[in-house]
Amino acid sequence: MDSLVLQGVTKRFGKVTAAQDVSFEAKPGRILGLLGPNGAGKTTTIRMIANILTPDIGRITLNGHVVGPWSQEQMGYLPEERGLYKKVKINDQLRYLAALKGVHARESVPRIAYWVKRLGLQQWSARKAQELSKGMQQKVQFIAAVLSNPRLITLDEPFSGLDPVNSELLREIVAELKANGRIILFASHRMEQVEQLCDDICLIADGKLLLKGTLRDIKRRFKRDRLALEFDGEAPFLNAMEEKGDLHFLERNEDGCIVRLAEHFHSRSLLERLLATPDLELYRFELLQPSLNEIFIRTVESQ
Amino acid sequence: MMSRKSLVVMQNEFMRRVTSKTFILTTLLGPALLIGFFAIIIMISISAVEDSPQEISSLRIAMVDETGVLNARILDQDTGDHVLVTADLSSAHEGVLDGLFDAYVHIPPEVISGTSQPLLYSLEGGGLGVRGTLGNIIDRALGDHLLADRNVSADVRSIFDRVVRLESIRLTDEGEEAEAPAREGYAIIGMVLGMVMYMTMLIYGTLILYGAMEERTTRVVEIIVSSVRPFDLLMGKVLGIGLIGFVQMAVWVLMFLGAMIFAGPIIGMFVDPAIYDLPAAATNQEILAAANISMPHISVGLFIWFILYFIGGYLLYGGLFATVGTLVDSPQESQTLLLPLLMPMIISIVFMSVVVVNPDGGLALGLSLIPFTSPVPMIVRLAVTDVPLWQLLLSYGLLVLSFMGSIWVSARIYRASILMYGKKPSLRVIAGYLRHG
Repeated sequence: MDSLVLQGVTKRFGKVTAAQDVSFEAKPGRILGLLGPNGAGKTTTIRMIANILTPDIGRITLNGHVVGPWSQEQMGYLPEERGLYKKVKINDQLRYLAALKGVHARESVPRIAYWVKRLGLQQWSARKAQELSKGMQQKVQFIAAVLSNPRLITLDEPFSGLDPVNSELLREIVAELKANGRIILFASHRMEQVEQLCDDICLIADGKLLLKGTLRDIKRRFKRDRLALEFDGEAPFLNAMEEKGDLHFLERNEDGCIVRLAEHFHSRSLLERLLATPDLELYRFELLQPSLNEIFIRTVESQ
Repeated sequence: MMSRKSLVVMQNEFMRRVTSKTFILTTLLGPALLIGFFAIIIMISISAVEDSPQEISSLRIAMVDETGVLNARILDQDTGDHVLVTADLSSAHEGVLDGLFDAYVHIPPEVISGTSQPLLYSLEGGGLGVRGTLGNIIDRALGDHLLADRNVSADVRSIFDRVVRLESIRLTDEGEEAEAPAREGYAIIGMVLGMVMYMTMLIYGTLILYGAMEERTTRVVEIIVSSVRPFDLLMGKVLGIGLIGFVQMAVWVLMFLGAMIFAGPIIGMFVDPAIYDLPAAATNQEILAAANISMPHISVGLFIWFILYFIGGYLLYGGLFATVGTLVDSPQESQTLLLPLLMPMIISIVFMSVVVVNPDGGLALGLSLIPFTSPVPMIVRLAVTDVPLWQLLLSYGLLVLSFMGSIWVSARIYRASILMYGKKPSLRVIAGYLRHG
């Protein structure tokens, strides 16, 4: 019930359709990854959720009510195109941004103190934004997105420009927010991050929703057609198989290789052949789950 | 009408700027700079009004009188700072080329009969001032000569020296004579108020423009509009910065009123009563009266209308300036879009001296009714003349309607353009924003 629902949402700018019939649901306590190539319509979709744009068709509801000015106070947003007032002190900016979300200074001041400490910005909070590094500014923008204790948190490429230590810190906090039952939308085209963080996936390209579901389901839907092999000894028949078109080498090194099996070719027959080869010791024979990156590329390319 | 969010924006804009060093400095030092600036403009305008030629520097001028009768009468006269020297044509010509003289005047014999005119020769072409002065001197000499030639007696000649000055007296509504008018004083006040109006509208409009542009170029705007409707953001911004203008203006008005109250006594302190045959114990009022210095009386009503027109004009331009700020990515880009906004403002300043001279004329009336120009000329008219109530109400009504329209248009464009980066703001694009906003 307490979730974000998009139903048949369409948005056009003149002749360009930025989002076409997009529907999905983001649930509390879960992270939904919004994936898509550049210009796919992710930002337009997020802006409609944030009530910056209104859909031409369809509706967006939060907690069963159509989004509007009311829901802006329930939502924290870290946009991809983000910035701060250069000449304003961090504390003052955060107080202002919290006030715009309807948080009184009485409440925002202690919260700012908490988050500034949590993200290691204590020494910087009385400085002007222009004195901070890009990574530090990004942490400030992240604070702005969570300061109002929003039910829905939208993070658009939150890790870009952060060093590994800070990325890890942010991941921890996001996991904590998820455990607290927040709805988290995570937009990115960095697949490994999405794979690590998200429970659910929506893949958008050209304004259309191409794939949606839990990360597990989506991965299951795609056949395990990549095979990782590790062995000692010679297996010259593998080259012959590639020439015949039964398999295709993706990676090769001293210890073994990763191959993609052709549709008609069954992994079992390869296993039997390997086991039957004298002087060949097999260490690894693993059918790999497709990576999200592969799924992404395959799905977008098949369009 | 105002939402809670616009109040937050307004408060932020106000507090952020009102505590800045720039604001405190401009508020305190602004009047000094403005006074210096106005003093120049007003001096020039007033002297143009009085049509008195200005002698800027003294010149050495050779007079070549071929009539043989005018030279003595010319040299007899007060020539201001100019030095007149008698010379013949060739030496005067050479003298100018050698730098001995700044100019020479050639008066051919036919000037007496009126069939020819005297000619002024100089390397620089001669300014209006010297032409006017010398022309008057020669004219007077010629007049004297012609009258003397016809044996006209001195008392008849004195008729030509008479000058009529028309004094004007303001009547109160009850038909009584109002306090002694100080025409120049009112003209100065009108121009000062007009200039202050123009400058503040421009300064605060620019402040809004840069504020909106800053949010756009730093990309903070997307975070902001995910919390506030663009209309509320626009209103909060315009009103917050307007409030700063209002505070600054209030400080200046108080300073101005203080100056008016204290100017008399201060002038009095520097005037020696003995000059006006007054006893040493004479009061300031007596001294000022004797010295013919009267401080113009400024009505409270004028200040109220001034504030009202400032608010109206500011709101009219404020929204439009904010819109320009959201359409462009750099100050350079804003120039083209600002031009059509600045034109009416500049027109109202250009014609300010005309409005002072002829405050009830057609041009003054027209300019003070058109909303885009009305604040400056109307405030000038209010200072120097009694504006009929219907004109005042019509003008202000039109201004209010226009600023409501301007804010509506601005909000639509603002809303549509706020997140469009890197798009060149052509007229077509702006029209598109207006349709879809």
